[in-house]
This record gives sequence, structure tokens and C-alpha cells, in this order.
Amino acid sequence: MNTGSTRRQVIGGSARLGLALACGIPLLQACGDDSTSAGKQSKSIKDGLKPEAGPLRIFDYDSYINPEIISAFESKYGVKVDITTFTSDDEAISKLASGAVDIDLHHSAATSTLFKLVDSGLIQPLNKTYLTNFGNVVASLRDPYYDKGSVYTVPYTVFGTGIGFRADRVDPASLSWDTMWDPQYKGVASVLDDVREGLTMAMMRKGLTDVNTSDPAVIKQAGSDLSELTNLMNIKVEIEGYHTIPEGATTVAQTWTGDMLTALQYLPEGTTADVLGYWLPNPALINSDTMCVMSKAKNPVLAHLFIDYLLDKDNAITNFQYVGYQPAIDGIDGQYLIDQGLVPENLRSCVLSSDQIGKGFRSLQLTAEVEALWNDAWSKFTAGG
Amino acid sequence: MANAAGGAPGGHRNTFWAFLSVPGVAWLAALFVVPFYAVAAVAFGRVDPILRTADPVWSPLEWKFSAMRNILRRVLDSNDLGGAFIRTFAYVGGALALCCLVGYPVAYYVARHASRWRGALLAALVLPFWISYLMRMLAWVNLLQVDGYFNRVLGWLHLGGSRNWLSGDWPAVVIGLAYGYIPFFILPLYAALERLDKRLIEAGRDLGASPGRVFQRVTLPLSVPGLMAASVITVLPMFGDYYTNSFLTSGSPRTEMIGNQIEFYLRGTSQPQTGASLVLILSAMLLVLMTYYLVVTVRAQRAVAT
Repeated sequence: MNTGSTRRQVIGGSARLGLALACGIPLLQACGDDSTSAGKQSKSIKDGLKPEAGPLRIFDYDSYINPEIISAFESKYGVKVDITTFTSDDEAISKLASGAVDIDLHHSAATSTLFKLVDSGLIQPLNKTYLTNFGNVVASLRDPYYDKGSVYTVPYTVFGTGIGFRADRVDPASLSWDTMWDPQYKGVASVLDDVREGLTMAMMRKGLTDVNTSDPAVIKQAGSDLSELTNLMNIKVEIEGYHTIPEGATTVAQTWTGDMLTALQYLPEGTTADVLGYWLPNPALINSDTMCVMSKAKNPVLAHLFIDYLLDKDNAITNFQYVGYQPAIDGIDGQYLIDQGLVPENLRSCVLSSDQIGKGFRSLQLTAEVEALWNDAWSKFTAGG
Repeated sequence: MANAAGGAPGGHRNTFWAFLSVPGVAWLAALFVVPFYAVAAVAFGRVDPILRTADPVWSPLEWKFSAMRNILRRVLDSNDLGGAFIRTFAYVGGALALCCLVGYPVAYYVARHASRWRGALLAALVLPFWISYLMRMLAWVNLLQVDGYFNRVLGWLHLGGSRNWLSGDWPAVVIGLAYGYIPFFILPLYAALERLDKRLIEAGRDLGASPGRVFQRVTLPLSVPGLMAASVITVLPMFGDYYTNSFLTSGSPRTEMIGNQIEFYLRGTSQPQTGASLVLILSAMLLVLMTYYLVVTVRAQRAVAT
């Protein structure tokens, strides 16, 4: 039980505290070009280097890697792997910036805050000659919007935002974002504890597609719409849908795709998976966690090799079975996971296709001023205003 | 000569004790004054343009007050952060009242009547500290569930028993706060009650007052300083609490406390100045309460002296 909880906090932390900072332009587009990037002070490692003696030091959320993967990597390369954990993306950046932690591989950098790591020179460009499995990355993320050319990062997991629901209580055909404002679900509904996710949901409900708006009126209106939920729905603001839905305490919850796949592990005895359902808007808000090597890594070759190890399809599947979040690996789609018996048919919508990943909305960087508007609107909602 | 001779050793003793207090004063300075100044330096400081982390400004001459002005406007709006402040004071007041109702009789019994059971009871009072606060709150989540023991007991007593206490209700927060912090209330109160001069109580009885009258006119007034100390020790951490309501109401906006907003701005945003400003505003409010506590305590001491 605890494992799942911490995995859920993983994504919660990365997205909740992400505050989405990516630029209005593709985030690291300039960063791949040494002549323009503020992160240019860091260079990638040379080709053909031998792996270091280790230990490989990984910075990660708790329980966000399958221990079997760690053990297998240690055996293969004869090194020890040490994991240092953090609880939120902001905490991770703060510790990395202050030098409080000395690590080789940042295993779960949020795409929305990557620019901080690049612009401050904390991470180094990757040397793809060590990433022999890079071709396994899902096509739409080989040249992602947040890191053009995948100069600094390789995607680890990918997830979308929709509504997780109890299929035994809700008609799937009736679902839309309006469902979150439907009083018949009063007391049994929740929204994600995440500034961008929450306000974006309110905007998408109104048919708005600029999920990175800087319009104060739109942001304020989204906040007001969320505030309606306080009394209309007695709404909860949490990231617990992965267990409250299978346990029956919640009927509809704004959740990430990976939540409902994780929820399978929380079904009470005697309850079958068909009580779970997931609705994903089209297009949906899509986000990723990424892996990157630190500029001051003492074991950069090992760090590259570990990334490459997770890009192996079989290893990615092994990892998925523990983590519950979809790896960004080509071929690991809904049909494949259903055929393998890893995902039930009724949760097919929790697995994103390459097309969905490519066409999804992105939470991009906001200027500090605009970010403050989003934060204050969210703060007013959560304060009961 | 005699006075001068007697004064010199006393002066040395004073110097000696003053010297011994230096580490403690330095400790307080390091762990209170400096951090408090750091909060001000963040509140009135800048944000790193790249990392968007706090960039404290240590010189008051360079402080900027825009974040504080903005947050003050919101604090004065009851439909915004003002609501969270009002709620926080109400919840803390309710939890303190509950602590008094439950804690005073316990402290009184242990201090005055427990005799040979006193040691065991004191150990029992300290026992909750052995368990993580979060674990204790999680236990309450189970107790307060719809099918939990709390509802079952209410059902047996024919007082309902079907209410969902975890659905964003204030009683869950007040009960949780009182439960979580009541050991901090009982122990200092016990210490104060245990030191009460029994002769004053006996004198009251000898003068013909009933036990209730003696309690009302002697014991209770004499225990005011202890009550105040216990209250201060209890409510100060309550005001900053942000996890009790998170656990017990699943982050319902209806029970949001100011600690949640401080946590949000300091840990979840690139606006640390806003979070630090909230800390300063809350501290200023608590300073008013602390001043009241000091005034009441001094008055009580004078009353006892006369």
C-alpha cells in the first residue's frame, strides 16, 4: 500500500509543484544550440568512455523505480546504485541548486521546470552514442516540445489528465468536464491538488484551448468557477484518487491516466477491475517526467547507461509493472498492455497513443507575473474564497 | 565594610550565572532571531530570475514591500485569504476549548489525586509522543470513516452514526487539532497545578467553603498562569498547522487553514515572498496574543503576591 502511495505522490509532486514554467516557445529549443543556451557552460561527455566504478547516485521520488531494475542494473555493470529521494520538484531544484545533494542522474525532472535546470547549468547535454535504445522512445517525444532534439533529456513516463470514475455508478457516456460540477456527485468528487491542472480543467470546460493564458480575466474566471465547487460539490482537493476510487469513497475525480492504472492495486478484496473507468478528453493535457545527467556528475557514463537500460522495452515493462505509469516507449500502447494482461480493457483510455501524446495540450512556462495570477487564483479557491 | 565584602561574592555569582546563560541566549538568537530575520529578508527580498527560488535581501534599505501590500489586501478580504485566517482562529479557539475541557480535569487529577498512580499516568500522557503525529492523524482517518468506530459509538448511543466526518467538516479538524496537541496542554498545566500551595486550599476548606467553592475561588485563579502557559504552548503550533486538516478533510477548501496557504506559497510556487509575508502577518497576530498572555500572567502573579 505504501508503495503505491508514494508513487502517486511522485507525480503529484512533480505536477503540483511544477507551476509549469516552460516558455511560450518550445522550452529548450534554444538550449540545444550551444550558441544560444544559457546552459552552454556544460558539455556532454566524450564518446567511448568506460563506465565508472560507481556508485551511481540517482535523485528520484520515493519508489519511482522498480527495485528489480536497480538490482539487475547493479548485476550487469557490477556497480552499486544509491538513490536519494525528494518529495517535490521544487524541493529537488532547490537542493540541486544549493549543492545540498551530489548526484549523477536526476531521474524525474518535470518538463515544466526543465528550463531552470538548463539555464542554471545544472544538467549536461546527453551523448546519444551511449543511448543505443534511444530509438525506442515514442516517436512524438523523440524531439519533444520541452527539449527540442532531446538535447538534455529522455522521457521517463508520460501521462494525461482526465476523470477517473466508478463505472458502477456513472454512465460513461455522460462524462465531460461538466461532470465535476454535477451536484449529483456532491461529496464524492475531487480535483487534483495542482494549480495548472485545476485551473486548466475549468478553462477546458468552457471550451478554451489556451491552457497557458496570460489573460487575467480568463484566469480569474477559472478561479471563480473552481470556487463554485466548494459548496456546490463539497469538493476535495487531493491526489488520492488512485485509492479513493477503487475503495469507493470517491465517485468522480480529476486524475492522471497513471492514477487509474495504479488504482488496480488498490481494489478491495472481492472487487473487480470493471468498477473502474477513465474518461480522457480529446485533446487532453499531457505531461512527462524526464531523466537527465547532472553537469557535475562523477559517474556520467553510468548515468547514461542507466537511462539506456530503462529505454529497453522489456526493462520498461518490468518497471511499469511496479511504477504504474506509462513508459514513453514505442510499442507499449494500449493494445500491447491489454494483450499482455497488464491493463484491463475498460482502462484502455488510460494508455496514451503516440498520436495523443503528440497532439495533447502542454503546460508551458509562464512569466513570473502571469504565474502569480494563476497562483493567486488557485490560492483564493483553496482558501475557500 | 560588611556590605562591600558581602557584595563582591554576589557580584561574582551574578557574573557566573550570566556567563552560563550565554550559550542559551546564543542558541535562541541563532534559532529564532536569525531565522525570523531571514523570513523578513525573503518576504521583502527578490526571487532568483532563473531558478525562481528565494533570493533574500538582508539590508532593510533595499527591501521592497509590494508582495506584503498585495497579501495584506487579500488578508483583509474575507472572501479570499481573510476567510482562511478567520477559520484558523476559530479552529484553534475550538481546539483550545476542547483541550481545556478534556485536559484540565486530567491534569488536575494527576496533580492532586493520582498519588501512587501519578508516575504511570504521566508516562501515559507522554506516550503519544512516541508515535509520529502523522501516524496518529492517519489513525483518526480510520476512526472517522463512515463505517469507523466513531460513528459506531454514536450509533450505539442513538446519536446518529452515519455522518461522513471526513467530507470537509470543521469538527473533524477541531477534534484532530485538540487530539494532536493535548499532551502539550496537559503537561505544563500539570506542572503548575502540582506546585499549588495546598495550604491555601486547606484554608479555604477550613473557612467553610464547599469543595466547588474552593475550586472556583482558590484553585482556578491560582491555576491561571499554568492555564495560560499551557494555552500558549498549545495554540502556537496549532496556528501553523497545515497537515491535520489535509489528512482529516482531504484538502477541502471549506477547512483550509492559513498554514496550508503558507505551505502552498513557500513550497509550491515561485512566490516565496508571498509565503514569507503570510508568515510575518501571522506572527504579528500571534504577537498580540503573546502580549496579552504576558499581561495576564503578570497580573496573576501580582494578585498572588498580594
